[in-house]
Amino acid sequence: MSIELILEPFQYGFMVRAFVGTGLVSIIAAAVGTFVVLKGLAFMGDAISHTAFTGIALALILGISVYVGALFFAVLTALGVVFLTRISKVNNDTALAILFTGIFALGIVLLSGTPGFSGDLNSLLLGSVMAIQAKELMLVASVALVLGVVMALFFRRFVLVSFDPVGAEAAGFPVAFFQGMLLIIIAVAIVVSIQAVGVVLVVALLITPAATASLITKRLKILVLLSSAFGLLSSFLGLYISYFYGAPPGATVVLVATALFGLILGIQKLRGA
Amino acid sequence: MSHVYSADLALNIKNLTAGYPDNVVLKDVSWQVKKGTLAAIIGPNGGGKSTLLKTAVGLLPPFEYKIMELLGHPPRTGRKQVAYLPQQEEVDWNFPITVLDVVLQGRLVRQGLWGRYSKEDYDSSHEALAFFGLERYKHTQVGSLSGGQRQRVFLARALVQEADLILLDEPSTGLDAKAQHELADLFLTLSQGGKTIVAATHDLNCLTECFDHVLALDGRVLVEGKPDEVLTEANMVKLFARHFPKVGSRGEVMLHEH
Repeated sequence: MSIELILEPFQYGFMVRAFVGTGLVSIIAAAVGTFVVLKGLAFMGDAISHTAFTGIALALILGISVYVGALFFAVLTALGVVFLTRISKVNNDTALAILFTGIFALGIVLLSGTPGFSGDLNSLLLGSVMAIQAKELMLVASVALVLGVVMALFFRRFVLVSFDPVGAEAAGFPVAFFQGMLLIIIAVAIVVSIQAVGVVLVVALLITPAATASLITKRLKILVLLSSAFGLLSSFLGLYISYFYGAPPGATVVLVATALFGLILGIQKLRGA
Repeated sequence: MSHVYSADLALNIKNLTAGYPDNVVLKDVSWQVKKGTLAAIIGPNGGGKSTLLKTAVGLLPPFEYKIMELLGHPPRTGRKQVAYLPQQEEVDWNFPITVLDVVLQGRLVRQGLWGRYSKEDYDSSHEALAFFGLERYKHTQVGSLSGGQRQRVFLARALVQEADLILLDEPSTGLDAKAQHELADLFLTLSQGGKTIVAATHDLNCLTECFDHVLALDGRVLVEGKPDEVLTEANMVKLFARHFPKVGSRGEVMLHEH
């Protein structure tokens, strides 16, 4: 492949923005996603992204910022789930699934029934990273920066409340506070990633790179870095493939991430055999 | 009105009723453990051993109590000097964390919301690792250690936390006889160093040789005192009779009437 071909997508402003935007969210989602995978919270990530969709739908209809709408619903879902798990130990999966699919369906009905907005449905569900504007990119970049700093500052505390919440709470450590903070970070990461890959696939940006990394290392810091690297690699490769073959970008990024997971797993199985 | 806190007690519980929302496990339990004691809680499954430990450290809210003190303080402030080691199966041993990082967490729980590890934190962690003979495993993932070594990692963390009261839920589960004896020796060393150890255990074997004090618990306090006072046949029959069939002298199985 010649240098011209490699650089070709970058002569278009929208492609540059798409690369930067997807790159940023995939790094941050993959880093945050490490904790989602370690704690087995993939299902919760799915719930958050689906209710965030309804937040976006309502925001569009009410004429307020979609990020505000999405964030409100995402955080509400995250905290609601914690509340649910604290008050009852029975069948959380079922209760959660009923709740988030119901809210998601409401969003679809609302949005498709509102004249002038039904066109947004497709881009929300499947992502619209090629349409990302400079202003949105700035927002995504600032959010990514804030999340990165918070993760770095409180990393050890997030590890503590993920690994041994019981022992930490027994010693008087503010476990609920840091668990809540971690959930809010997950919610925020999901919200900023929706534009890139859409509501339906966003959970893949969280969990697939982290799961791939966890095949390779048992060291936590390396796990987070490797996960981010896999996220970035998936988004760049995915966008290239999407550019040259005209495939939908969000789905292609997720496909590449999935293929990387399969590749690493396959290599390990072959070596082990 | 404020309580009078007794300074020489590590654990002071009076008239505690506790359990789960639809299941009262402990009824009117009172128990005092002097500082520096090696105390064991024994009793049948469902008798409230874990519930007592969890309520003492605030993992379960008590329903009712007259007094509840940790190391002479109300639970909120006393907990800073308390380490709780959960049952082995409650810990996620696949978690990618090294032995050193677990031990350092002893400092993290003291810092709370904010703070970084100082050189002194690292020094005391290495000291604790050396004390428990774990230095060469410091970069090992904690789950890949043996059961006895895992226990020692958590005890090292308790030392680094400067915990004066260490509560353990079923510490001997999954340990072979040799590891159990090593653990008992460690308990002895720690208690001679001024630490108070309270262990809930179903293992009655090494109680008499290691522990100074035994609480027999079956929802209520059946009896407490020195091991040889508590571990009489009459007490054990009372404690376990309704849970286990007994094999008689001619090999017959007898179920106790209740």
